[in-house]
Amino acid sequence: MLIISIRLQQDYSSNLKFKTSFRNCILEAFKRRLWKETEGDDWDIMWAEKEWIHEVLDHTHLQSNQKINHFRNHYELTRKDLMIKNFKRYKKNLEREGKSEEANNYNFFPLTFHLPSEYPIFFEEFKRQSANSDTKTAWIMKPIGKSQGKGIFIFNKIQQISQWKNTLRYNQDNPQAEAYIVQKYIADPLLIGGKKFDMRIYLLCTSYQPLTLYLYRTGFARFTHHRYDSEDISNTYVHLTNVAIQKTSDNYDEKLGGKWNLQTLKLYLMTKYGQEKVAETFYNIQMLMIRSLQAVQKIIINDKHCFELYGFDILLDAQLKPWLLEVNASPSMTSNTPVDFELKCGLLDDVFTIIDLEKVLTGNEEQIGGFDLICKGNPIKLPINSTFTTYLGAFNNRQQQLKKIAKSTAIRLAQTYSEGQMKAIEVGSKGQKEKEEKDKQMRSSSKGPQAMQNGSNVNNKSNNLTKQNTIMKRNTTNLPALGTMQNKSNVKRQPLQNAGQQQQIQQSQSNSSKKNNPNEDSMLSANQKLQKLTQESKINQFQPYKQQSQYNEVMGMGGGSRNLQKNEE
Amino acid sequence: MQQFDNQEILMKLKSSKQFWDIKKKLKQGLGDQQKIGVNDIQKLAQSCEIEDQLIKLISHILKKSKKRETLKEDQIEFLNTSKIKWTELLFKNLDIVHQKTKNQEEDDTNTDSKLYIYDEKNLLAFLQTFKQQQQSNALYQNVQFQSNKLLNINIPLKSSQSILDKYQYLLLQEELQDDKINKIRKQIENEHLDIELEKIAQTFVPNGERCLLYLKYFEFDHQETVLQQNFAKLQKECLNQLFYDELLEIDGHEISEDTFYFVFQEQILTCLKCFIRDRTIKENIRIQLQNGVKKEHAEFQLPVTGFFPFKNISKYVAPLCYLSTKIHIIYALFKEFFCRYFCFLHAISSENNSILSLCMQIEEIVSTRSPKLFHHLKVIGCDTLKLIIHQLVYCFIGDMDPPHILTIYDQIIGHDSLEILVILCVGFLNKYKPKLLLAKNQENVQQIFSELREDRFQELVQFAYKQ
Repeated sequence: MLIISIRLQQDYSSNLKFKTSFRNCILEAFKRRLWKETEGDDWDIMWAEKEWIHEVLDHTHLQSNQKINHFRNHYELTRKDLMIKNFKRYKKNLEREGKSEEANNYNFFPLTFHLPSEYPIFFEEFKRQSANSDTKTAWIMKPIGKSQGKGIFIFNKIQQISQWKNTLRYNQDNPQAEAYIVQKYIADPLLIGGKKFDMRIYLLCTSYQPLTLYLYRTGFARFTHHRYDSEDISNTYVHLTNVAIQKTSDNYDEKLGGKWNLQTLKLYLMTKYGQEKVAETFYNIQMLMIRSLQAVQKIIINDKHCFELYGFDILLDAQLKPWLLEVNASPSMTSNTPVDFELKCGLLDDVFTIIDLEKVLTGNEEQIGGFDLICKGNPIKLPINSTFTTYLGAFNNRQQQLKKIAKSTAIRLAQTYSEGQMKAIEVGSKGQKEKEEKDKQMRSSSKGPQAMQNGSNVNNKSNNLTKQNTIMKRNTTNLPALGTMQNKSNVKRQPLQNAGQQQQIQQSQSNSSKKNNPNEDSMLSANQKLQKLTQESKINQFQPYKQQSQYNEVMGMGGGSRNLQKNEE
Repeated sequence: MQQFDNQEILMKLKSSKQFWDIKKKLKQGLGDQQKIGVNDIQKLAQSCEIEDQLIKLISHILKKSKKRETLKEDQIEFLNTSKIKWTELLFKNLDIVHQKTKNQEEDDTNTDSKLYIYDEKNLLAFLQTFKQQQQSNALYQNVQFQSNKLLNINIPLKSSQSILDKYQYLLLQEELQDDKINKIRKQIENEHLDIELEKIAQTFVPNGERCLLYLKYFEFDHQETVLQQNFAKLQKECLNQLFYDELLEIDGHEISEDTFYFVFQEQILTCLKCFIRDRTIKENIRIQLQNGVKKEHAEFQLPVTGFFPFKNISKYVAPLCYLSTKIHIIYALFKEFFCRYFCFLHAISSENNSILSLCMQIEEIVSTRSPKLFHHLKVIGCDTLKLIIHQLVYCFIGDMDPPHILTIYDQIIGHDSLEILVILCVGFLNKYKPKLLLAKNQENVQQIFSELREDRFQELVQFAYKQ
């Protein structure tokens, strides 16, 4: 991708402008797209900090083309206390409507109380829990406004909290009292290598009406650096997986960052628990995320300018039941390893593709890059013959997939164009030229070149196409073929494949229509240029082995990636 | 064989589930006959294969009660003397290593993290010395033996064709349907016979059931508390520091650089520390690795296991961490795997499984089936064996993803043999053959393998049989 875009830079530069105060992967991802940075208000896309939204957005009028990375009242989902409040309320409503089955599904958050307001109820519950069980139930206190694990502590005696109560931090009359939530601590988390971990999973919401959600295939598991010990509740290193906390630990290994990507985690779980159990778990995680957003769907103010990338923190307990810990509105886009860096840049790049500033997509794409559409109005069900229940943690084939999308988009645009031409020839009206202009503009102002370049080259590479397809079929974690069921499900996503079959005919059609029209010189030459470019870059592009390994590198999969990681450091 | 009285056999029979199944079947078959004679039972048993099952069961029980003796002396005298030499060599290495650690303590700036007693290259180099020795032997002087092979020792070898034939069925493995997998699952749960478990391991072990299968095969399935207690005891002993602990810790660093295993570094280290303190290994291990000569003036003795920990010993533990979250189970599996199989990878012996035989098998197959490659590698000074010795000795751990490694483990159990490694090594060479043929020198070869690559079990098997 990068190679192509660099090559294109000479002939083509985008008119799109971005604005952001971040100086990490976000900036890099913008730059890779060759968009221009702006300080003023003429941005097309802004990656803002949450505070900016609260302070500025309400007083600003946005142009119709402008996109921004938060919804106005995202905190209804992303602030710990409001989230729980909304879940509880939604659950109650469902019960009232008699949908008790669906209501029972809202069991993915631990018992939670808001402090100080719900202190009396909490105290009752605390007493009840302690009386019922021999072992002391542990509770976790989290300050509402803070992130990265700051201010969190665990306790199992009420004295520990009354001490806290008496300190300045908590005083019911004091308006500045810091609000906390207190949650029943999940005491039997799944341990890997004796260590606790949680998962960070990315979900993109582009609209709340209808609820449109894309789930990213790759996420990661963050490990604590110390052995888990349910007795020792004062040592935060043991219990909190936040990178920000773990960094301060003596054991912290910079190189590894204590992370596994989701594919490795899935591989581990699959080896240990078997296919079905893991498929079920990952499906539950996906449903958990959809349900979380459904619960706040009516509360969040929908806005066509807004999109939001959420970072879900999910914990698995020893029974592989997923628990939602928290939803982050601005998940960290700072990376600590090269692999991590590529993951985040790829993720952001796909976000930019989905929000479609260039206006080239149909909006019906089921997979864009590493994102899979999981909800559009209603949760999307995968075909019955598919072995997957969710693509979460499956092999992330984003680069191949992006090429596929680029191709089908190019074909579609070419088709609309040729249809326009045909009409124009028939009618021969004056308005035709205007339309032509428009089309031209649309093509050249879009990310289209990248797309078209692949499309226009279809004939040349039909041989390579089959090769590419075989790579694409490789999915998820590659278990040994001895009886594994993994490779079965390459039949999905019918529409795109059909498009692939039709493309040759369509392409020749569009080519011939172009040749018929002598006014098309400029267009043709642009196409030729692009074709030339692709031919040059073809050598780089179509080496399946190399591609595959680049892939593995990004995904941190396969044996080689380890070597590479070493080299890069 | 040890003598059993009938009473004992009957006791053991009664403890197995299959015995009761057979009895139930007999009862059903005889129905409500009033008088049952011995002849009736015999007839019925013969007619519905019950007899066969019973015989199998009894022979299984007898086999189990027979304890495998640790192989100490090899039938070839020459190898016995070599083993003594090898042990002496290692003692020397130990002294050097010890000296180095001492120096390091004094001088912190010069920390050499690659401290070990021996690694796979040392082992191969040692095996290589055999050639010259044997050729100088009067017996062989008459025969003008011109061979390109690195190892050329006169030990009884299986024909390489028989090995190839043995594993050929792997080529025909098909993807299994869900219902079949479930059937296998049930089978593993109910099966207790070694032979049957081996059959399952040969064909297909579903993920998630592997741990149970291994535990059953090693007869640990009802002994979890025993395993736990034993492990706890060993852990207590770990409080006394040993010099070898330091070496193990250094060894663990390498595993910590592996994406798949870094999470388990701590567990692996704990397992190994317990391992070198485990006194039961000496009697359980199937082959004696180093000659137990006691050097009186040496500062250090062999660990109680009877052999030195070597470089990358952690690798053998790592994939097992994917089987259980319980450390005592990981330990028990590791111990069993090492004592039964992996020990042969470090044994100077003429046994079929020993590193010597495996190496010679590989050379044999490659030199006959891909003579061009074999010759080319020889010419560029990078012999076939030198190329794959790492993969061979460490069972491809670190070269393949954990599930693939565990498939290798399945095959090892399934055939009670390490020969699958021969197939995989041959396949590995075949896979990279086109690239290797282009290599002009050793650096080229190294470059090929330092590139990103992804090897898979099934793929290598297929390459092995490619002509």
